[in-house]
Amino acid sequence: MSSENIRDVFRKSDLLLMGVCALMAAGFLVLAGFNAAEAGKLLTIDSLFFTGICLLLAVTFAAVPALAMHQRGVRPFYVGDEVPPARAREHVHFEGGTKLFLNVLLGLLVLTVIEVFLAYKHVPLHIMLTLLIGLSLVKAAMIVAYFMHLKFERMSLVLTLIPTLAVCICLLFIVFPDSFRAGALRTTKTEAVPAAAEKHE
Amino acid sequence: MSTEAHVGRLPATEWDGGALPYRVGHRKLGMWLFIVSDAMTFSAMLIAYSYARVSSDAWPTPFPFYPSIIFSTTMTLFLLASSFTMVMAVRASAHNKLRAARRWIGATMLGGLTFLVLHSIEWSHLIHEGLRPFRLAGEWAERWPQAPPLFGASFFAITGLHMFHVLTGVLYLGVVALRIKKTRHEDVEISGLYWHFVDLVWMFVFPLIYLMSVDFTPGAGH
Repeated sequence: MSSENIRDVFRKSDLLLMGVCALMAAGFLVLAGFNAAEAGKLLTIDSLFFTGICLLLAVTFAAVPALAMHQRGVRPFYVGDEVPPARAREHVHFEGGTKLFLNVLLGLLVLTVIEVFLAYKHVPLHIMLTLLIGLSLVKAAMIVAYFMHLKFERMSLVLTLIPTLAVCICLLFIVFPDSFRAGALRTTKTEAVPAAAEKHE
Repeated sequence: MSTEAHVGRLPATEWDGGALPYRVGHRKLGMWLFIVSDAMTFSAMLIAYSYARVSSDAWPTPFPFYPSIIFSTTMTLFLLASSFTMVMAVRASAHNKLRAARRWIGATMLGGLTFLVLHSIEWSHLIHEGLRPFRLAGEWAERWPQAPPLFGASFFAITGLHMFHVLTGVLYLGVVALRIKKTRHEDVEISGLYWHFVDLVWMFVFPLIYLMSVDFTPGAGH
């Protein structure tokens, strides 16, 4: 069983009517959502009534094109088993199976849980920051290598993308050491303000 | 026939004029270059946030275990799971199983939408507490009197830009899923690259914004 083309089955006037009905349905759906969001408490008789009426009208209008297409065998979201010609010509290179990706996902989840656990340990700030950023870099490398498939691409692509990013991020850090002495360079220290206020009293 | 169809089937030597130095289609290379430039944008924002935080005398650490940390951890798990479903979609598409690919992309969009809903709840919670881009929420100013009012600006700017990426990613995946009969495998793969990048950025936003601002005080969030 396959899908008919919608333009072959319906006349232009039918298509116009179906389009208007679909637009009305979408409009009432938006109105229902807007009402649910803006009414304050959703679980009151008034709010439920207005949301319910909007949803009912949306379904009523959507039924017109949906039933018409169902009757004539038009299935807009249907995907057949045959491979489209554009895909059949394509040379696809894909490595990795479900097991590999599940393992990567498991590793990422475990690292996330370790990060959250670390956040509740009382360790010095710079050690915590190093650990968190280190773990995040490991996670990022796993995502790039396996999920983004970079491990299976040509080395020239890796050597173009990764050093570019690394060098630019290092350049961004050039002014960062200033932040360590910015507090000492400030002319008006913030802790001086409450002390001065007390003297005036 | 297009360039992509030839990818991987080069002439015997690259000196014969068939040189594709990266052996990927031009669209995929374009997405990779966009991802690199976008990564620079995000790293610039995160480094600027770190700069402001280090150079300040104090910085608020307002996130209690419930709801903030629980919510953000759940969001991380959903985003990671959606990355997994996306890679399964690309795999199904590589084997020309279009129906399965569309179903996996749908699961990915569901994960992204869950992330968006949870994050909006988190945002509205902070806004109700009184956090604004250049004003600290209610009692925060008393708890951290030396902190500059930049917390809101950095939080809303970085997580807002990331939320915008998630939103455009969900819409992009929706278009790819609806047009799956007309797309080539490479198009599905490119949308996957973008989605994984959104996930990757969150791997840095989550520890720097959330985990570095955990509220340690006993009884916080109860």
